Amino acid sequence: MRRAVCSRAMIARDAELAVETVENDPVPTRIRASGEWTFAGLKTRREEILRTLDDLRRIPPSRVAWDLTPIADLDDIGALWLARALRGVGQLEASVQQREILDRVAQGSRERIAMEHPIDPYAPVVAIGEAALHFGAHLRDATALLGRVVLEAGALARRPRDTPLRELSASVYRAGVAALPVTMLVGFLVGIVLTYLSALQLKRYGADLLVINIVGVGVVRELGPMLASIIAAGRSGSAMTAQLGVMRVTEEIEALQVMGVSIITRLVLPKVIALAIALPLVAFCTDLAALAGALLVSRFTLGIPPQAFLEALPRAVEPVNFWIGIGKSGAFGFAVAFVACHYGLKVLPNTDSLAAGVTRSVVASITCVIILDAIFAIVLRNVG
Amino acid sequence: MSADPTEYAIEVEGLVNAVGRGQVLHQNLNLKVRRDEVITLIGGSGSGKTQLLRVILGLKHPVAGSVRVFSVSWYDPSLKKVRDARRRMGTLFQNGALFSALTVFDNVAFPLRERGGVSEKKIRAIVHAKLAEVELAPHQGTLLPANLSGGMVKRVALARALALAPDLLILDEPTAGLDPDRSERFVQLIKRLRADHRFAVFMVTHDRDTLYALTDRVAVLGDRHIIACGTQEEVRKLPHPFVQSFFGGERGRALAQGEAAA
Repeated sequence: MRRAVCSRAMIARDAELAVETVENDPVPTRIRASGEWTFAGLKTRREEILRTLDDLRRIPPSRVAWDLTPIADLDDIGALWLARALRGVGQLEASVQQREILDRVAQGSRERIAMEHPIDPYAPVVAIGEAALHFGAHLRDATALLGRVVLEAGALARRPRDTPLRELSASVYRAGVAALPVTMLVGFLVGIVLTYLSALQLKRYGADLLVINIVGVGVVRELGPMLASIIAAGRSGSAMTAQLGVMRVTEEIEALQVMGVSIITRLVLPKVIALAIALPLVAFCTDLAALAGALLVSRFTLGIPPQAFLEALPRAVEPVNFWIGIGKSGAFGFAVAFVACHYGLKVLPNTDSLAAGVTRSVVASITCVIILDAIFAIVLRNVG
Repeated sequence: MSADPTEYAIEVEGLVNAVGRGQVLHQNLNLKVRRDEVITLIGGSGSGKTQLLRVILGLKHPVAGSVRVFSVSWYDPSLKKVRDARRRMGTLFQNGALFSALTVFDNVAFPLRERGGVSEKKIRAIVHAKLAEVELAPHQGTLLPANLSGGMVKRVALARALALAPDLLILDEPTAGLDPDRSERFVQLIKRLRADHRFAVFMVTHDRDTLYALTDRVAVLGDRHIIACGTQEEVRKLPHPFVQSFFGGERGRALAQGEAAA
């Protein structure tokens, strides 16, 4: 015991193996192990020791005698190496402590729990089936959440005093005002790119002025709302999911429920309503930025003066297109916040689930927005 | 306070509770907590103490059976009744579950603001009184939960649980994660508050010290139901292996004798 303490205080001594052969003895090979048989002690001379151990395995184990008593320190790594070499050995000298470690390690290497699952030929089919069931469960839960949102919104309408105005205005600010710089910059750049590309094509046919129709309708009806809601999904949607998810992890959701506070009224409704209010406003600003980009490019590549552009715009784009765009943004805002809340409330109290929830929330809300957009495009194809 | 004294704080009848894919955790479980007592739930690890607590708190739907707090089921169609019952109950979660975005003051004020009907000035007075009750200085009210030590989190959470002057306090491992000195002080705090306010306490704990100091009755959860519910002396005689190992250790016996001598 004292030796072990001393050696630890000293600089680590490497593990050593001394092999000695005695002639005319029933057990001719004598092996002394000394030094520190630990992870650190085995590091420097591991190749040498491994080779020696390999060589020793060729000798029948009954003709080998081991002496482990000079070992200063033995840890699990050292014991594992020794345990393999010691299998079936005839003579072994070791302290009680060392024997215990060796037994434990030998036991550990015998354990063969079914860590790897056997290959299941039906695994892909099972995976598809499970994915479908998951999807069905999500749809069911989302429908239930939608129902609860509608019911609680109805209850709030009857008692407007309970409306969580502070949360609502905070959410409008965060999802709306704070998102403006990014969304407007992206809108401006997309406006430039779109106008430039259309201008290149239209110039060939001498239909320069049509660029106002194409870009105007495209931006106001499609691109503005889409850009705004995709950026909102990435910015606000992920934040909402993460917030609800963390509240689940820290048990804040449970604390609210236990106090009798409705999660829907307090956490979900303000977010959903706020984004449904904020997104049309953001989309409006995105429209402006994109049209400003278009105006700039038409002035410099097509030579259309800004006054002419602004005069032609209302004629080229019927106002109904603008209202369709704004209405769509409201629906997109609702969808993004709703999907984000749905995934946020489904987060389980662990970090993995939180990360997965945020990822899925962003992917699902963008998909949702695009599906909704397609539905709007079909339903409103004869309008504007 | 105005409630009639024969009313039960918690009634659990014929509870069947399952986790995951139909693995039954509780079977035909019955438990009653009187209006004026401190009852402690003990049980081996994995016996479903936390799950039982979640069912009682209404965070989990039981498969069958009924749970009533102040004679109200959490699934009562009358939302007003449920809300009123909720407001008569304060809960201290194991890790505090403070609202991390709100300051200490706002955390304690939250249930009061949520209930409404009280001016902000009065709320401020009540919150400061509650903070003083759990031995926190008024200037600590501006701290965020992230800046608090473990013991302070528990005390703030206790202040929040007591904000509405509840008739029932539910404690989940009230002393877990506190060092022995702190947990002793926390137990004394609860004891003192209880002497002032006479609320019922339902708690889950592993800590025998807490148990000896506070409890009127002990409920033992094992083999999927409450195997015994009575005073410590009654429960101690039970020949169940968990009870024997829980009370039987040297430390447990010494403590019990110390308690008896005191």
